Amino acid sequence: MIRLLWGETELEVDPRAAASLDVRPLGPGTFVLRRGDAIETFHCVRDGDAFHLFWRGAAYRLEELGEGHRAAQRHATGALEAPMPGKVIAVRKAAGELVVKGEEILIVEAMKMENAIRAPRDARVKRIAARVGDMVAPGAVLVELE
Amino acid sequence: MSPFRKILIANRGEIAVRVARTCRAMGIPTVAVFSEVDREALHVREADEAVAIGPAEARHSYLNIATLIAAAQRTGAMAIHPGYGFLSQNADFADAVAAAGLTFIGPPGPVHHAMGDKQGARRLMAAAGVSVVPGYDGDDQQDSTLAAEAARIGWPVMLKPSRGGGGKGMRVVRSAAEFAAALAQSRRESTAAFGGDVMVLERFVARTRHVEVQVLADGHGTTLHLHERECSIQRRHQKVIEESPSPGLDAAQRVTLYAAAVAAARAAHYVNAGTVEFLLDPEGRFYFLEMNTRLQVEHAVTEAVTGLDLVRLQIQVAAGKPVVLRQEEIVTRGHALECRVYAEDPDHDDLPSPGRILFFAPPEGPGIRTDSGIATGSEVTVDYDPMLAKVVTWGRDRTESIERMRAALARTAVLGVVTNLSRLQAILAHPAFGRGELHTGFLDEHLADFSRPQPPPPEALTAAIAALQRSRLSSKGPGAPTAADPWASLGAWRLA
Repeated sequence: MIRLLWGETELEVDPRAAASLDVRPLGPGTFVLRRGDAIETFHCVRDGDAFHLFWRGAAYRLEELGEGHRAAQRHATGALEAPMPGKVIAVRKAAGELVVKGEEILIVEAMKMENAIRAPRDARVKRIAARVGDMVAPGAVLVELE
Repeated sequence: MSPFRKILIANRGEIAVRVARTCRAMGIPTVAVFSEVDREALHVREADEAVAIGPAEARHSYLNIATLIAAAQRTGAMAIHPGYGFLSQNADFADAVAAAGLTFIGPPGPVHHAMGDKQGARRLMAAAGVSVVPGYDGDDQQDSTLAAEAARIGWPVMLKPSRGGGGKGMRVVRSAAEFAAALAQSRRESTAAFGGDVMVLERFVARTRHVEVQVLADGHGTTLHLHERECSIQRRHQKVIEESPSPGLDAAQRVTLYAAAVAAARAAHYVNAGTVEFLLDPEGRFYFLEMNTRLQVEHAVTEAVTGLDLVRLQIQVAAGKPVVLRQEEIVTRGHALECRVYAEDPDHDDLPSPGRILFFAPPEGPGIRTDSGIATGSEVTVDYDPMLAKVVTWGRDRTESIERMRAALARTAVLGVVTNLSRLQAILAHPAFGRGELHTGFLDEHLADFSRPQPPPPEALTAAIAALQRSRLSSKGPGAPTAADPWASLGAWRLA
């Protein structure tokens, strides 16, 4: 089986079922599926280890799942990551301080909007890995909680 | 005879594309400008010439007055269209364009001065007898004064940067305890976005509708209204869905509203296209909110119901021509809706979702118009507003335009970045939206927890895997797609 990750949900696909479908490419990103007389046009593009699917009005991003996948790692650690590229414009807490769930730890600005990085639970701050003025990439660890 | 030999479009994204299209229809060549990250952007390709204006940071490119004017002079452009956002409501820019012997396609500097900031506009409107929301628009901007005024107005209070728009820096403050922190944050956002931190306070009225009137004045004594738009569906005080006519007005209210809008425009000595925004409270009372001294994002809704091309009218007025339309000739037909497609994740607090557009297919069909600033391969960066496209539908009545919009959104394929399309679909499908029961808190009231996204159905996943298998096979054959095609490469699938 092919294992896929959609958000935090694992899904499975039987590759033999896929191989037996009448799916033909129409052009970059566009495919046609025929089942008897029924016809379905959909869109699918690859993006590194992931792919994007547009099916009947909804878009999905799916990741191919290897062993010890990233989502599991993310939850195991107390690391808070930058959700998007942006600039750190405020740091409210320092290492060693206690934070309560929902409390602002730092603020990242992108597209002229401020986005607060908040504590997902009550915890002590182990490390603040960013300073005011830093440009941060998505996925960069900004805060570590104990 | 073209009014201008050439026009420079001092903007980017969908509005730059949209302005270029009218210019092309009028036989006027266009000059696009682009920052380093926009070299390959759609708006550049839609123009006849394109000039590099600097780095990604807007302050040094799209907001750089001297560079923009030099670009116009170098290319022989006679006029500058500012679009919306960026310098569109900047009085210094309008003045500098005129001082350089060029034409600014929009109101002149003094109008921007008078109306471009909420503080001055409130004062002018109050003096002209147009009712304004109870609030504070004074010059004393000390934190303590603002806190005292907020308490006098009564909680909750709306904090608004005097300059700017787009909801940036605006917030509702519910109590005195929250005020200081909220004020500091609004001031920071205002300074970053608009280069000033003067704030206006207004009483926050719940369950209000946002209704606005499009106006057009030619500077030869004619000031017309082009009917209203309702823009009550907002998130973070930014419009998401707009429509015309408003489902919340009766005939008598319309007459009052149009008269107030024309009075407001005349009081401001308005010239060119503009918008007078009003709050409509649950008791049916109107309050002046602000005047937008530029073309609005949602102008296409008015174009759909009036059949007029607002950019063409802007260009003609800027060229000094009188508007030949009479008020009674401006009639609306049917109903139009606009949905704004943003690169934002509705399931994660509307976080911006930058990235490369790996696939884009706009919807098509009767009564559907898409104004977009992206194409497959476009890069959506964090440097600019995350709006990707506007989908506009027209129908003989509201029911038909909603029906067409729902079909259109279901055929709007954007892959590579997360968009708000799922939320737009949920709003359109909501019974309260269908009944026209709109107010600015609609999303919080009805759709605060709408987003329980469903996983892709098994048949979709199987088809997707089949598609990826096929594209792997085809990439080995002759005429294979290039490596740059994102769908061409396929990782090793684990078969178990």
